[in-house]
Amino acid sequence: MSAMPNEVAQLTWKHRNVIDLDNWTREELYFCLDQARHMENVMDRPIKKVPVLRGKMCVNLFFENSTRTRVSFELAEKMLSADVVNWSVSGSSTAKGETMRDTAWTLEAMGADIVVMRHGAVGAPQYLASKLKHGIVLNAGDGTHAHPTQALLDLYTAWKHLGTLEGKKIAIVGDVLHSRVARSDVLGFGTMGCDVVLSGPPTMMPREIEALGVRYEKDPKIAVKDADMVYLLRIQRERQQDGLFPSVDEYHRWWGADSELLTYAKPGALVMHPGPINRGVEIASEIADGHQSVILEQVRSGVAIRMALLYLCGGGAR
Amino acid sequence: MTKTLFKGFKIFDGKNFVNDDCVLVENGKITKLSTGLEDSGAEVVDGGGKLLTPGFIDLHAHFRDPGLEWNEDITSGARAAAAGGFTTVVAMPNTKPAISDAALVGYVLSKGAAAGGARVLPAGCVSKERKGVEMAELLKMAEAGAVFFTDDGAPIATSQLMRLALLYTGKDQPRIMEHPEEISLFQGGQVHEGRVSALSGLKGIPAASEEIDVARGIALARETKGRIHFTHISSAGALTFIRNAKKEGLDVTCDTTFHHLTLNENAVINSGYNSRYKVNPPLRSKEDQDALWAGLQDGTIDAIVTDHAPWHMDEKDEPFQEAPFGIASLDCAAAVLMDFRNKQYPEVPLELILRKMTSAPAALLPEKWQGLGVIAEGAAADLTVIDEERTRIVDCNSWKSKARCCPWEGIALTSWPVATYLEGKKIWEDEEEI
Repeated sequence: MSAMPNEVAQLTWKHRNVIDLDNWTREELYFCLDQARHMENVMDRPIKKVPVLRGKMCVNLFFENSTRTRVSFELAEKMLSADVVNWSVSGSSTAKGETMRDTAWTLEAMGADIVVMRHGAVGAPQYLASKLKHGIVLNAGDGTHAHPTQALLDLYTAWKHLGTLEGKKIAIVGDVLHSRVARSDVLGFGTMGCDVVLSGPPTMMPREIEALGVRYEKDPKIAVKDADMVYLLRIQRERQQDGLFPSVDEYHRWWGADSELLTYAKPGALVMHPGPINRGVEIASEIADGHQSVILEQVRSGVAIRMALLYLCGGGAR
Repeated sequence: MTKTLFKGFKIFDGKNFVNDDCVLVENGKITKLSTGLEDSGAEVVDGGGKLLTPGFIDLHAHFRDPGLEWNEDITSGARAAAAGGFTTVVAMPNTKPAISDAALVGYVLSKGAAAGGARVLPAGCVSKERKGVEMAELLKMAEAGAVFFTDDGAPIATSQLMRLALLYTGKDQPRIMEHPEEISLFQGGQVHEGRVSALSGLKGIPAASEEIDVARGIALARETKGRIHFTHISSAGALTFIRNAKKEGLDVTCDTTFHHLTLNENAVINSGYNSRYKVNPPLRSKEDQDALWAGLQDGTIDAIVTDHAPWHMDEKDEPFQEAPFGIASLDCAAAVLMDFRNKQYPEVPLELILRKMTSAPAALLPEKWQGLGVIAEGAAADLTVIDEERTRIVDCNSWKSKARCCPWEGIALTSWPVATYLEGKKIWEDEEEI
């Protein structure tokens, strides 16, 4: 792990909410990763608890099912001694008959300090944040837009293995069009100075991919050539029903990651995936369970990164 | 007999700026356009160098009446139009129920006439109940006063229905107005397919969706020798098709909107995906926006419309993806465009812009209304006074419209309508101005 530059160690935290990484500097990213390193130490203690958020109320407001992300946030909140309420709503606020404005004002009236929000609609966390005077918002994924905590945990995992990320080559393969993970990773790794290349079926790529500041290679072998890290995105089977690709088998044959594809990457290149994985679709088991895979480490990093963000934004570091 | 003398104005007559500075109005009609007129029996409106234009004509607005009146109704819509300098507005028929028979056309006309705002002219649906299956009673609706036929909000459902409607209406009936969109390319779409969809993850609506439907309409206009008007054109590609169709001599016309001329997809991105910018067709690229300005100048675009799509704040103030499409603009559209033209496109003559809001849209209405949009002896005295020096901040809470879904809220604009006259009668005046 590389040491923090001095100027980063002295940075003053200014982000109130975490909606996406588009307005984060490289120094801020490293500062957050460094905080996560301290938080990960807490996870190794016999008593996994520090009083950073004692007396603070966290609401995990989930409009979409996501056991993994919610549990990760909940563990992070509890290790920091916060009081935690899980508020799950199936369907959108509109389907429930309440506008999101009213949801926001209700949260405010209940005295929520930190709201962790997952929503199926792009822009929902930003909207919620714009209506809250007191509480802060951490985006746990909004539609196909952004998933900043996932990107940060990916950065953290990569940083631990690769050291300084500047100049490293990152290949992201899969359904970029519908992936909030890909969008936030592109921002995060891009800000870190990585060379980011995307691959996947052209039907699952945004049309103006250059707007993201990255390259596209249809052939994954070219995309992963000499990569330091290969990132596989989850393929949702309903995209096949939408007609975006003809069959899972064909997808796996062309864009699925197996040991042959990995031979094009740098020796020892990291294999990452946001989970849950589809074995035999975007990733073969031999890769998912192989020695280059850091997929389970990503899960652990997720707790540390979320602790860091809760501390930085909600715990008085600001 | 009432007489009003407008004197000391800079006058745009619907086509050009003229040297005359006085207009005499008697019994709702313009009886004299001249210089240095005096008339001791007339009430005098002193212009002090302000601009006098024919009242603006908007060929495309939604008034949500009948059916969704908490968002807007014909009365509030007609008054909003007057406050924005418009004297004639065509009300779209995608209401609940849809305007697809003569009785409902009559409802819109009579409620509009009682509104005390702009003149409201109804458009009728092409298909019965706007279901896209059978042709509605187009001739009866025309007789009752419908001025366009459109299934706006959606394209005409099938090519065969469009073909039959073009044949049936021919050149002696109101024009068919097409909302150009290929539905299978729209499904679930939220924003322009391009930079904004790539960055946001919001589902894109490709410009090809518009181009394909325009190409269909042109092919059918050629085949039927009919005439078709494409509304709210937003893309460079669609304009190319229309430009070529005009060169070929087909009876094809089109309009674009105030918001597509003055905003592009970057506004959506820079707003942090604020739903005020959510509109269909979506705000497209800067290149498309530039193409629209070129289309205005080379005559491809005939008219500028508001596509005023009012929503109550309770409907519109939602996260981007959950909010309905629509920008409301009647109260401020003319000011938005004049201000934007002055700042961004000063090389485009003001006359050109004003023509597309007055005489040019009038020419697309049925014969009965083609005398609108001009200041000429014998014409109806529909007049708008513009103060080109006036600066005002757009404040939706002061609007006559019930809608608040406006991207220009809080922005200072210069060059505002300050008084509006319909057939010689004042229907609106900027009270702060006095």
